[in-house]
Amino acid sequence: MEEAVYDVFARKQRSEPLRHIGYVDATDDALARVYAWKTYDEENWFEMCVVRRSHIIPVNRIDGPYAARATGRLGRHAVEGR
Amino acid sequence: MNARDFSPEVREALQRLILSLADTKRMLGIRYSDWLLGAPSIESGIATASMSQDEWGHARLLYAMLKDFGVDPVEVEHSRPPAEYCSASCLDEPFADWAAVVAGVVVVDGTLSLALERFATGAYDAARRRIPKMLAEEAFHRDFGQAWMRRISEGSEEGRQLLAAAVESMLPDVVTCLLPGDDEAELLAGAGVTGQPGDARARLGRRLAEPLAALGMVPAADPPLPGDWIASRRRPAGEPAGDAVERARGDRNRALFVE
Repeated sequence: MEEAVYDVFARKQRSEPLRHIGYVDATDDALARVYAWKTYDEENWFEMCVVRRSHIIPVNRIDGPYAARATGRLGRHAVEGR
Repeated sequence: MNARDFSPEVREALQRLILSLADTKRMLGIRYSDWLLGAPSIESGIATASMSQDEWGHARLLYAMLKDFGVDPVEVEHSRPPAEYCSASCLDEPFADWAAVVAGVVVVDGTLSLALERFATGAYDAARRRIPKMLAEEAFHRDFGQAWMRRISEGSEEGRQLLAAAVESMLPDVVTCLLPGDDEAELLAGAGVTGQPGDARARLGRRLAEPLAALGMVPAADPPLPGDWIASRRRPAGEPAGDAVERARGDRNRALFVE
C-alpha cells in the first residue's frame, strides 16, 4: 500500500490563522489524522487539519513541492517546463 | 460518591478494580514502548511512543485514586513485585510482531476504554472527574488501531493470519480480566460503580464486530473464568515478565528517584 504526503496545519487559538507546521506520510486519511496529532502534540492546539499534498492546487509558483498538481496557465508552464 | 461512602465490601472491590485498570494500562504502555523502534514507519513509531506515554499518564491518574483508600500510590508504583500485579495476562510478554501490536491497540486498549467508560459514568466521583480526558485521548488510539487493522486485513494472507491469531489469543483473556462476570463485578454493578458486566460484554462485541469481520472472525461471546483465576488480582495465575516490571518501577534509576 503506497504512502502519500499529508501537510499538517494548526492553530493554538480560534483568532489565529492556521499555519503550516509540518507533514506526515500515511497510507490513508484516517492514519494521517492520527499521525499528525501524535507527531505534533507538543502544543495545546485549538485546531489541527491535514491535507493530502496532491490535493493542494498551487496558484502562483511553478516550482516547489506543490507544483505536481499545477493547473491553468502557470501550471501548464510547470508541466511543460519539465 | 467518595470512597468512604461505599460499604467496606464495595470499597475493597473498587480498589481492586482501580488497580486492575491501572496495572493493565501501565503494562500496555510498556508493551507499546517495546515497539518505539521497529514499527513499520517513523510515523507509526512516533504514534506508538505517544500512545505509550498516554497509557502511563492514565495509569498514574488511576494509581493516584488509591489515596482515597489509604494506599500510598508511590509504594504501589515503585515497590511491588511482579507477582502482585493485576494486569491482563496477555501483556505479560512483549507483543511478538506488529500485527500483535495492532491487535493490542484494538482489543486490549479498546476493552480498557470500554471498562473506563463504564467506570466514568458510575457513582464514584473521582472516576467521573478524571476519566473523561483519558477517553478523549483514547479516541486517537482507536482510530490508529482500526486504520491499521483495515490496512492489514486488506493486505497479504500472512498478515491477516498473524493478526487473527493475535486477536484470538488476546480477546478471551482481556474480556475476562477487564470485564469479568464474577460476584465482585455484580457487587460493583449493584453499588452503581459500574454497569452490568453482561451489558459491557455485549457492547464490546458490537464494537469489535466490524473490524473482526474483516478477518473472518466473530468476537468471543462470553469467555468463562479460567480455572486458575485469582480473584484478589482479577486475573489468571502468572505475572508480567520481570524485566518489564523493573522498567515500570524504574529500578535502575532508584538512586535518582525524586518525588
